Amino acid sequence: MGRIDGTSEADFEEVPKEVTALFPGRVGVLHRKQLYLACFFCHFLLIFAICCRDTLSFIARGYTCLPVFFNTYAQKAETIVSTALGAHLEPSHPVRQAVSVYTHLGGIESGYAFFAPNVPDNYKLVFELHYPDGRIEYDLPHVASGGAGLRLATLLDNIGDTRSDELREVMVKMVAYSVWRAHPDATMIRSVFGFALLPTAAEFRRGTRESDEFLYAYDFLFPSSSGETDVP
Amino acid sequence: MLKMRERLEGFLFSARSTTWIALLRIGLGLQVTTYSLSLWSDWTYLFGANSDSLISRDLSEAILSLDSSFIPRLGWLVTLGGQIGLSEQVTLKLAFGCLLCSGVCLLLGFLSRPAAIAAWFLHLAARSSGGLTTYGVDNFMTIGLFYLMLCPLPDRYSIDSWLWKRRTADPRRIGFHQRVLQLHLCLIYFFGGLAKCLGTGWWNGNSMWRSLTRSPFNVIPADFLLRWSNLLPLIGIFICIVEIGYPVFIWPKGTRNIWLACVLAMHAAIGVTMGMYLFALIMIVLNVAAFATNSTAIPFRKEQARTAGGLGNKSDDEEAPASV
Repeated sequence: MGRIDGTSEADFEEVPKEVTALFPGRVGVLHRKQLYLACFFCHFLLIFAICCRDTLSFIARGYTCLPVFFNTYAQKAETIVSTALGAHLEPSHPVRQAVSVYTHLGGIESGYAFFAPNVPDNYKLVFELHYPDGRIEYDLPHVASGGAGLRLATLLDNIGDTRSDELREVMVKMVAYSVWRAHPDATMIRSVFGFALLPTAAEFRRGTRESDEFLYAYDFLFPSSSGETDVP
Repeated sequence: MLKMRERLEGFLFSARSTTWIALLRIGLGLQVTTYSLSLWSDWTYLFGANSDSLISRDLSEAILSLDSSFIPRLGWLVTLGGQIGLSEQVTLKLAFGCLLCSGVCLLLGFLSRPAAIAAWFLHLAARSSGGLTTYGVDNFMTIGLFYLMLCPLPDRYSIDSWLWKRRTADPRRIGFHQRVLQLHLCLIYFFGGLAKCLGTGWWNGNSMWRSLTRSPFNVIPADFLLRWSNLLPLIGIFICIVEIGYPVFIWPKGTRNIWLACVLAMHAAIGVTMGMYLFALIMIVLNVAAFATNSTAIPFRKEQARTAGGLGNKSDDEEAPASV
């Protein structure tokens, strides 16, 4: 039943004992609504801070059309927001851990700038399969379904964006191994990683087509039918 | 200050029926089911840790552990399965089966809460373990399932409410959860739109062209697209305006339906022209659940204060039961 002042009994319903126990001396003050409000503010503060951090990072790195003048300020602001999010704490620090776990659980660990500020070039990975008889074949990484195809594109983006050379090599080697399983006779796979330069609409009209730019190449040796191995 | 707080409470805790939860549940059920089926043939290939996989799950999980070791992952389930003698393949297939079942349960509204928790956990675990292959759709699925799991379930259109005949939750609590989703969407579009506005490509049509011709989103042949290339700058600017204007124009009655229609059309177009049907579906589901079920009040408007903490804004939602 509603009360005469427009509030209801639920407004004064106290939070569970386990929660009030966390605030000794404040029993009876915390109400369920206040708890909701507190959670609401923490949740949205995190979302807002993460979105701001991502936007500032674009500006700081000079990806936007803003004058260079803004870059330094954006860099400073990004550092402040990242610090507030605990990014500069020790990885094992409880606050950093709590923020990291909660943001992952809620799906709010990253911003929402898809294809923004600009659409990046797409990465490509081509495999050159060498056989013992000197034959050379070419192949691409493949998946069975269209849904997984989009995931493969994300994987290539992640490989391309990786700053660590060692990690990039490990990732390429894993994908190369998945290709080798379909061609077990190949003894060496040269993995060529690059990106596709897309023409603008005007360039396309003039006849320019997509061209590939080389970035990295890795050679991986695989076991031949006689036995030598260099698999991941 | 007190008035401000009353207004805020009036806005956040306005009474709502469970219709929007039903839409969110059914939509996410459909999403989880479609997501699972779309990965049917590639599930173990994407999430395996052994040599049969595209990229080892162990690598993704090791990178994830740099953030925290407490984020759910499929590795936990595989270890658990190993304790009872299940192989990695069997455990992964079981996880897949459970995810698919939870999607179907959500769709029907049967065991809504356990299904929502299971779907959220399993999808999150798959997303975490396949971190190198995840994209926007996974992000929004986690958001949607996270909110659904915390929502007052079951809704009145579910099998649960027909079977168990439970008391309906406080309509203001239901309203609060809807507000959270609404405000989250406002932030998503605002920051997405802001980032686009900061890039020159969205003003001159170049980003539109690149989005539509970039592999694997090049569903429309470039030659065909070229015929309409004069429209691309307009479409790019339109997208910027729709996204950045979302937090403003989605609230007033006069513009809400127009804005909602524009956003839904934009996502449907993304699904059709870029082949991102799962991404399109999740965004449509979230928007419909958040804004299509009732007339929403403008945040912090004076008349909201009158209903603060109390009887609920009945004009906001014709279906809200007057049980408070």
